[in-house]
Amino acid sequence: MNNFDERVNLLKKVQQMDFVVVEWTLYTDTHPNDEDALEQWREAIKEAAVARKQYENKFGPLSLKSIPSRQALEVGWRWNQDPWPWQL
Amino acid sequence: MWVYEKKLLYPVEVTTCNPMLAKYLMEQYGGADGELAAALRYMNQRYTVPDKVIGLLTDISTEEFSHLEMLATMIYKLTKDASPEQLEKAGLGAHFVNHGHSLFYENAGGVPFTATYIQSKGDPIADLYEDIAAEEKARATYQWLIDISDDPGINDSLRFLRERENIHSLRFREAVEMLKDERDRKKVF
Repeated sequence: MNNFDERVNLLKKVQQMDFVVVEWTLYTDTHPNDEDALEQWREAIKEAAVARKQYENKFGPLSLKSIPSRQALEVGWRWNQDPWPWQL
Repeated sequence: MWVYEKKLLYPVEVTTCNPMLAKYLMEQYGGADGELAAALRYMNQRYTVPDKVIGLLTDISTEEFSHLEMLATMIYKLTKDASPEQLEKAGLGAHFVNHGHSLFYENAGGVPFTATYIQSKGDPIADLYEDIAAEEKARATYQWLIDISDDPGINDSLRFLRERENIHSLRFREAVEMLKDERDRKKVF
């Protein structure tokens, strides 16, 4: 697998896991007493963080809330660097 | 405040340059029932709704901004390699002379976005019913776009967006019930 494919695949994983969080967040907004949903929501946040870390370690932060990894800095990662989402 | 995430909510893959399809997609970019209208509507209503539904309006509004970015990505990718002649043939000649290859908040007919598309009544039931209607209209528009588009990559993203409008509509209807329950309880006491 080349670098670009790996990047796209890891990013897709982040998109999937983040989407689960989005979906549970909306659900729990209108079901605030659903303990099972709240548990799954907390679990989804954890899993999304794992997927994000996997991507960011290699390809650099997706937002400025993450600390740039040594690996990303070594290959010259900068925030102001393409590809931007619409260029991918 | 908001923090930018350098990723789309859902991937957007474009098969071929297709400025005509881009023109149609502008309906959901800067049209009356489009993503900009949705995002701005909810983000503005949230300040004066009951606390119970502030989270929902904030979260759905934020998601609508990510939909707006998906639409922008589709329109950008579908038009970036189009020549002026191709744009003109697709009905985007007037767009090109005013905006070049850049995007603009306008509908499929070229009418610029206006705040008159949205409302805020200071009445939570009235606002939420408008929001439900907005989601249903957006869902219908996505269906018509899917029907007219033959780009498999675009259609995949459009189907995702259509389903999101369904979920938003459902959540807004649940929010109405939450407020009605509360109102009815107050009457009892």
